[in-house]
Amino acid sequence: MLHQSITAAVSTSALVVDRVGVAAGKVPIVRDLSFRAEAGRMLAIIGPSGSGKTTLLRAMTGEVSYSGSVVLAGYEVRGLGPEALATLRGVLPQASQISFPLNVSEVVGLGLTGERRGRRHRHLRIAEALARVGLTGFESRVYQDLSGGEQQRVQLARVLCQVWEPLPLDGPPRWLFLDEPVSSLDIRHQVQIMRLAQDYARRGGGVIAVMHDLNLTAAFADEVLVMRGGERLAFGQREEVITAKLLSEAYDFPLEILKREGARSVIVPAGGEEAPGP
Amino acid sequence: MTVRKRNHICSLTAALALTAAAMLAPSRPILAEPARGQDASRVVAIGGSVTEIVFALGEQDRLIARDTTSTYPAQAAALPDVGYIRALSPEGVLSVDPDLILMLDGSGPQETVDVLKKSGIAIAGVPEDFSSAGIVHKVRTVGEALGVSDKAEPLALKLEADLAAARSEAEGQAAGTRVLFILSTKGGRILASGSGTAADGILKLAGATNAVADFTGYKQLSDEAILSAAPDVVLMMDRGGDHGAGAEELFSHPALAQTPAGKNKRLIKMGGQYLLGFGPRTAEAIRDLAQQLAAIRS
Amino acid sequence: MSDLTIPERAFLSLKWLGLQEARQGNREPLARAVIGVLVVATLAIMLASLATGPIAVPVLELLPHVPAYFLSALEGAPEGVTLRDWIVVMEIRLPRVVLGALVGAALAVSGAVMQGLFRNPLADPGIIGVSAGAGFGAALFIVLGNAALAPLMALFGIYAVPLAAFAGGLITTLLLYRIGTRSGITSVATLLLAGIALGALTGAMTGLLVYVADDQQLRDLQFWGLGSLAGSNWDKVLSAAPIILAMLLGVPFLSRGLNALTLGEAAAAHVGIRVQRLKNISILLVAAATGASVAVSGGIGFVGIVVPHLLRLTMGPDHRYLLPASALLGACLLIAADTLARTIVAPAEMPIGIITAFAGAPFFLWILLRRRGLTGL
Repeated sequence: MLHQSITAAVSTSALVVDRVGVAAGKVPIVRDLSFRAEAGRMLAIIGPSGSGKTTLLRAMTGEVSYSGSVVLAGYEVRGLGPEALATLRGVLPQASQISFPLNVSEVVGLGLTGERRGRRHRHLRIAEALARVGLTGFESRVYQDLSGGEQQRVQLARVLCQVWEPLPLDGPPRWLFLDEPVSSLDIRHQVQIMRLAQDYARRGGGVIAVMHDLNLTAAFADEVLVMRGGERLAFGQREEVITAKLLSEAYDFPLEILKREGARSVIVPAGGEEAPGP
Repeated sequence: MTVRKRNHICSLTAALALTAAAMLAPSRPILAEPARGQDASRVVAIGGSVTEIVFALGEQDRLIARDTTSTYPAQAAALPDVGYIRALSPEGVLSVDPDLILMLDGSGPQETVDVLKKSGIAIAGVPEDFSSAGIVHKVRTVGEALGVSDKAEPLALKLEADLAAARSEAEGQAAGTRVLFILSTKGGRILASGSGTAADGILKLAGATNAVADFTGYKQLSDEAILSAAPDVVLMMDRGGDHGAGAEELFSHPALAQTPAGKNKRLIKMGGQYLLGFGPRTAEAIRDLAQQLAAIRS
Repeated sequence: MSDLTIPERAFLSLKWLGLQEARQGNREPLARAVIGVLVVATLAIMLASLATGPIAVPVLELLPHVPAYFLSALEGAPEGVTLRDWIVVMEIRLPRVVLGALVGAALAVSGAVMQGLFRNPLADPGIIGVSAGAGFGAALFIVLGNAALAPLMALFGIYAVPLAAFAGGLITTLLLYRIGTRSGITSVATLLLAGIALGALTGAMTGLLVYVADDQQLRDLQFWGLGSLAGSNWDKVLSAAPIILAMLLGVPFLSRGLNALTLGEAAAAHVGIRVQRLKNISILLVAAATGASVAVSGGIGFVGIVVPHLLRLTMGPDHRYLLPASALLGACLLIAADTLARTIVAPAEMPIGIITAFAGAPFFLWILLRRRGLTGL
């Protein structure tokens, strides 16, 4: 069931992407991409629309087939079945519609699909997950009635339930994959979720997030991968990559970074008071 | 092995076990001594002609129920109705607690007949054949089933003679007339009787020609088929409506209007059970039909 | 219990029903309570149906003898029971009640599975083409059984039409599956649309057969289309039971997968479900069970939609409880409808499909109107 292709130099706490390509029919969407991410750090994947960010994510989570190699926790992702992958990583989608009137407790409980534990533990875990995302007391609320932000937090609680221990005693670190997790949320909830993701990384888990918002990326990511045209444009520590020059090149649009005294830098379109030009 | 695998195997075993149990179960019939019906005093008659014969034999006091098609004589209609001959409910028949069931050929459905057979009640099948010999045979069969063959024989002979006489009288009157028997015109579709049907049988006895004898059973006719059949007269069952209106409506059908029958508005309607029942009244029906055919041609 | 006050007793019984926990978000105790109630209700309805009919039969006195009958230890009627009463219960009513329970359970569970698979509370087993195909198969043999298909008819006898229905249902489903599956992945959207097309096609072909049918055949076709449990006997039970039981026992294994599927196919896979395998098994089980049901009882509608939906509103959408509860409620409802069908116009029998449609259609409309804010399906 588990095909092991552990390369000697790789430890089980890394995610190694080696010359990965993904194509839709004949059209390549991701080309020859390589990098390495470590657990305990948050990696943000940024780039303009159509750069293949989400496709790359889907290759890493095992959703689409790819050429090349993706090694997660020591295993080639391609060779793992859904049950095995579910024990190693959780995926938070962009938004989730649910067609039946489940309540919050039931949605979060779906994260425990792969679990064999008894009932008692389930409800404890669900309660803890809800507490983590700040939704204590929401157990009996109907998911479909919640706001977008609340729904996304419920989904995060579900994913956290699935990969509860970022650093389990009897296994490799677990990974959290986030696909534009905060695109449809207000700023307060954006920060809240990013904090939770960062916390997961701090506790030893691996976190990979496809991000739209450059400022959030700058605020929370430890490492950044910049993509353009399906290829890797840049990869490295946040400070090295988040530069006006590199970002402007990536997005083909003049951007500048405003430094403020004693406060966080802000990435904005370049130019003066008037509306930004091309 | 894992818990899931064990659950899988448990349920599969359960399913197989239940199936095996079901297979050992009864396809064998419940045994019962078939009673002798000749002394039966609680008789159910299924089939209009069967009921008429019972009355003709004077044995109606033994009847306790009949089917929907048994409407003659009036005393029969007064008996409880156990359902339509082709759609009998077994419980309905059993509920009147019979000790003999007289069943005309064509009673059904098969499942009902099977259950009734298992019940141990005497069942006498009465064969149906659309001919005068058939009628005579019916009388003898019913008579034997009721244990009154001594009364049935004279009745059978009488009917035999009567039928032969009616036939020869009809011979002259209606010879060669092409008759189209229409079962229904619902939805503008003309459903006609081909050969092998009761209508075909009575037409033969009356000396007329079935305009559509080239197929068996009841079929829907296309316009061309109607035209090439070229009937002189249309014959239909009288369902209680008035006669005049029927002809107007019927011959407004474009194809029928072009036939000899349609051009001259020749329509005959007669009671269904009377005309097609093939029972004691059939000789009278033959004479009646032949007379009407002769009248309508002149 | 007797020393508790009335409010305390009410509270305890509510707690026992699980209503309190349900309000806190955990609907499992409630679901279990509902199943318990349904088990009792099913047994009660079966008994009631056995006792209903034009002939008054002391059912309770007969029941103890039933196991002996099945173990072939009994010949004729048992002591103290008239043969007539025995026949009425064992050959007429009991097979009918058992068949009604099997078919009702099969249709309801199939509906629940299809709704879970298509993630739509309005899906029913017919959506994968089973009913349309079964109808066409039956029509083929009803109309051509005396002509072109006479040799086959002679070969299979009274099993010809049910077999044809079953085969027709499976073939149509297989066809539909092939159309909707590409590179090993089944698209439920394609299945849905192709199902509509295929339904129209089989409808047209059946219409063709109707056109050439004669009077008697038309009546048979019509009665078949409306569905009926009349003429139920042990042979029919025997032919349908193995398939339906296998399906009922196999379907609980789909619960986890169907639950996870609520999140969408991608997320269900992320959580550890083999989605394509789930689809394959679901479609196979539903096609087999529905085909077998339609084969022995004609086309009975609405049970597959009404039952799961009713239960989902009451006890939540957790398939681990929804599926067994659907089986029980489906059995109950169909037996009840059948009892009505054979008493309401006694001695004639109303086709059961009319009753389920009469009850089901308004309910269907109510579901549509009640959906949240009338926004999209």
